[in-house]
Amino acid sequence: MPTDMTVNGEARTSARDPLTPLIDVLRDEFHLTGAKPVCREGFCGACTVLVDGEPTVSCLTPVAMAGDCDVVTIEGLSSCGLTDIQSRLEQGDAVQCGMCFPGMVMTLSHFLAHTPQPNRDEVRAALTGNICRCTGYERIVEAALAVAGGRAEGRR
Amino acid sequence: MTPSAHPSLYVAPSLEDALNALAERGADGAPLAGGTWIMRAPLRHEAKSPAFVGLGRVAGFGRIEVHDDHVIIGAGVTHARLAEALRDIPDLQGLAAAAGRSANPAVRRAATVGGNLCTAGFAAADLVPALLCLEAEVEIASRAGVQRLSLEAFLAARATLEPGRLLTQVHALRSSARSAHARLPLRKAGDYPVAILSMAVMRDDAGRVVRARVAVGSVEAVARRWPALEAALTGPPLDAASAERAATDLAGEFDGREGVDAPGWYRVAVLPALARRAVAALL
Ligand SMILES: Cc1cc2nc3c(=O)[nH]c(=O)nc-3n(C[C@H](O)[C@H](O)[C@H](O)COP(=O)(O)OP(=O)(O)OC[C@H]3O[C@@H](n4cnc5c(N)ncnc54)[C@H](O)[C@@H]3O)c2cc1C
Repeated sequence: MPTDMTVNGEARTSARDPLTPLIDVLRDEFHLTGAKPVCREGFCGACTVLVDGEPTVSCLTPVAMAGDCDVVTIEGLSSCGLTDIQSRLEQGDAVQCGMCFPGMVMTLSHFLAHTPQPNRDEVRAALTGNICRCTGYERIVEAALAVAGGRAEGRR
Repeated sequence: MTPSAHPSLYVAPSLEDALNALAERGADGAPLAGGTWIMRAPLRHEAKSPAFVGLGRVAGFGRIEVHDDHVIIGAGVTHARLAEALRDIPDLQGLAAAAGRSANPAVRRAATVGGNLCTAGFAAADLVPALLCLEAEVEIASRAGVQRLSLEAFLAARATLEPGRLLTQVHALRSSARSAHARLPLRKAGDYPVAILSMAVMRDDAGRVVRARVAVGSVEAVARRWPALEAALTGPPLDAASAERAATDLAGEFDGREGVDAPGWYRVAVLPALARRAVAALL
């Protein structure tokens, strides 16, 4: 049974078995390899994509549950260069091995869109489902706070 | 295993359709709600059912109704939506905390109340002890009709429930009680709690406890009320140190389950601290 969905603005159809994890469809069938299958148990967040605007662990989402949904992966997050959070992560030298970053960016993009002026604890709580084994998180948290701080500056 | 005549996952549009699909599939079929338990079956070395019926689009499963004396929660309500909907309701703070602190944000957006209550092999389900303290009842639907039973009775029967049945909604009582949910995960980042203690306490004008409900999760295979601690808390004013002492005296009645995350004795040993924290959250 094929599954229709929109992926990064394009209509796509998956021919895979309906219980196939969305992450495998995105990577193996649509060749969008940004999201990473790391733990496959919803713990690490490296596979996070947006489904109808919500950060979703694509390793635990059967593709049929994404049927008729709007899926956005890291590849489709912006059509004009890096987003604010991506730029801040780059400027802050926050990226090390990069495995967790596609998921981090999806989670933080959604979080910052819904929590424009977060404090440090709120950023940390938002990242409890995105595990990074390289950085110790501080630069990632700083980057998120810098995006929020930059917005506040912009309004002054 | 012979392949099923049905697809591995069929997404049902309505309750009637889901019940029909489950009846057709018989022992081959099983409901799939958020999938956060089912999709990890390979990691637990468990076989998945051959023919799932997806509930994510069943109309009405996502409803939450807050009335003066009770609340109705559809089986498809996610942990995230439940936490958000109950955020400002004083007597339901225990349930709000259970929903809002379980797992991690993305899993909370997918995992459902129905999945949490129906997973017989999941001892650490946060919503179960919180709902036991609210004297919750569940509705179970099949093609033959709807049955309503206490959450306790459902927990005792759920492992042997006949195929073709669905938990459709939960009814929990509201009151002037205040509730809290104390849990101990080893790390904050999405670990299952080693032990859980939920509490709902009603006090008179002088601050004396007139009714206490306490439930313990994750310590034994299935969550249950703790009547001896409830009795010990009833009568005097609420006090965190006395609750911890009473829990220390009474904790021996639990037989902690062994697990890779923690040994059984440890789950029991942390209960007095959780009792103290739950009471402190109510003061
Ligand atoms: C990394 C991670 C951490 C987690 N941590 C916690 C935690 O700390 N606390 C916690 O409580 N939970 C936690 N969970 C979530 C746990 O998986 C869910 O709480 C819940 O047990 C599953 O809900 P679901 O909707 O995803 O169920 P599913 O996986 O869809 O189904 C689970 C079971 O319930 C059955 N089922 C589902 N809905 C119904 C229904 N309406 N009627 C009859 N049967 C039904 C299914 O057939 C299946 O047997 C965690 C999950 C992950 C991935």
